[in-house]
Amino acid sequence: MYHIQLRDFEGPLDLLLFFIQRDEIDIFDIPIAEITDEYLTYVRLMDEVDLDGVADFIYMAALLIHVKARMLLPNPEVNEEGDIIDPRRDLVERLLAYMRYKEAAEDLDVLHKKRGSLFTRGKASAPEIEQQVVDILVNTTVFQLASALGRVLAEVSGMPTITVEEVEYKLVDQRAFVVEALGRKEKVVFGELVRDAPKRFVITTFLAVLEMAQQGLVWLMLTPEADDFYVRRLSDPPQIGDLRLN
Amino acid sequence: MILMTVDDLPEAEGRLRELARAVEALVFAADEPVEARQIASVVSEVSQEDPPTEEAIQEAVDVLNATCEQQGRSLRIRRWGGGFRMTTTEDVAAYLKVYFRNDRRQKLTRSLMETLAIVCYKQPATKPEIDYIRGVDSDYALRRLLDIGLIAVLERSDAVGRPLLYGTTSRFLEEFGLSGLDQLPNLREIEELLENTSFSQARASLLMMQGIQQQEPPESRDSQEGD
Repeated sequence: MYHIQLRDFEGPLDLLLFFIQRDEIDIFDIPIAEITDEYLTYVRLMDEVDLDGVADFIYMAALLIHVKARMLLPNPEVNEEGDIIDPRRDLVERLLAYMRYKEAAEDLDVLHKKRGSLFTRGKASAPEIEQQVVDILVNTTVFQLASALGRVLAEVSGMPTITVEEVEYKLVDQRAFVVEALGRKEKVVFGELVRDAPKRFVITTFLAVLEMAQQGLVWLMLTPEADDFYVRRLSDPPQIGDLRLN
Repeated sequence: MILMTVDDLPEAEGRLRELARAVEALVFAADEPVEARQIASVVSEVSQEDPPTEEAIQEAVDVLNATCEQQGRSLRIRRWGGGFRMTTTEDVAAYLKVYFRNDRRQKLTRSLMETLAIVCYKQPATKPEIDYIRGVDSDYALRRLLDIGLIAVLERSDAVGRPLLYGTTSRFLEEFGLSGLDQLPNLREIEELLENTSFSQARASLLMMQGIQQQEPPESRDSQEGD
């Protein structure tokens, strides 16, 4: 089982917003069927990788399917006044509410930064907000990375494989493998790094790379075609904030 | 506008002048924010007179800040979370950032900031409410924010299960440079409350937006909305 804890990655509502923004969908007229299918594709992929918090994604998937089913019913639901209730309404409200607080979080971030440039005396002047996780050095969303992985895996599964015995790949070995590859070349394309390798090898390497990005050892950047991504070596630990390129 | 400085104060304003000197000294020497009532009681104890009013203290601070500004000094007294603090000005931040580069002020992660935003705008907020809005389990984020001291448990709600009610602390105000919660930027208003329940075709989508204000996780609905 592949398991990784990525507490700071986006949640299920972010994934929906990602689709909506990417396809420039009118939030009041979400094509539920398409979105649900696409959402499920992601959830299946995430389930395979067992990203932390996948249960929240599955819950949202269930909600989407429920809405989709209600939309297919011949007799639309009505409220007390006899007006038709759009089954998507709750979902839209949740998305909008979430967007409001996301915006508010950005506002708070601005205040926090501004406050950070004012210094005070005494111990309290160095705000002891220690943080265990370094900013993830990814210039993209985790969904874009995951879909890139999905495409790499799709190529892998197309190849005939004969499994003789189960080979366990370990994160620590795959880290060493990535470090070695980056020792030869500063920047590698992930797909080339794992070319012709078995699926489990690919997934474990992907997790190793994510973990290294989390620790500030490598930098991940989507290729221009967005079907793969670069892994770049970082020798010096980066300054927080420098690498948020998006 | 001509700013009044400590030196401009006429003799008759001797009391204000003395208060300003006391405030400056206290705020300078203190390691933590000094509240107006603390200043008042200290001044009253020394002078054996009635404690100065909060307005008088604020006026003294304004005079001090005007003096600093006129003299081009890089210090100001600011009021954050109910307490006064002496701080440097923004234009000299570059020097201080170099000097303090080793104890770097950390940035809050995205999920912490998101959770904090919900707590600060909705407070008192329960965990089910926060989880519902974010669509993820906020257990870790809440624990971290409690550890850092940006939020605190206020009390228990009367709702089913008696969930804990979270709110922000004065440390939060201080960390974000706010004198009070009323200084928070407004949440973007989506529309006015859905008072009118008529749902005409033409206004359907608009009302969908308005409905947002009333929507809450069903299980933890409180009888009233905090503002």
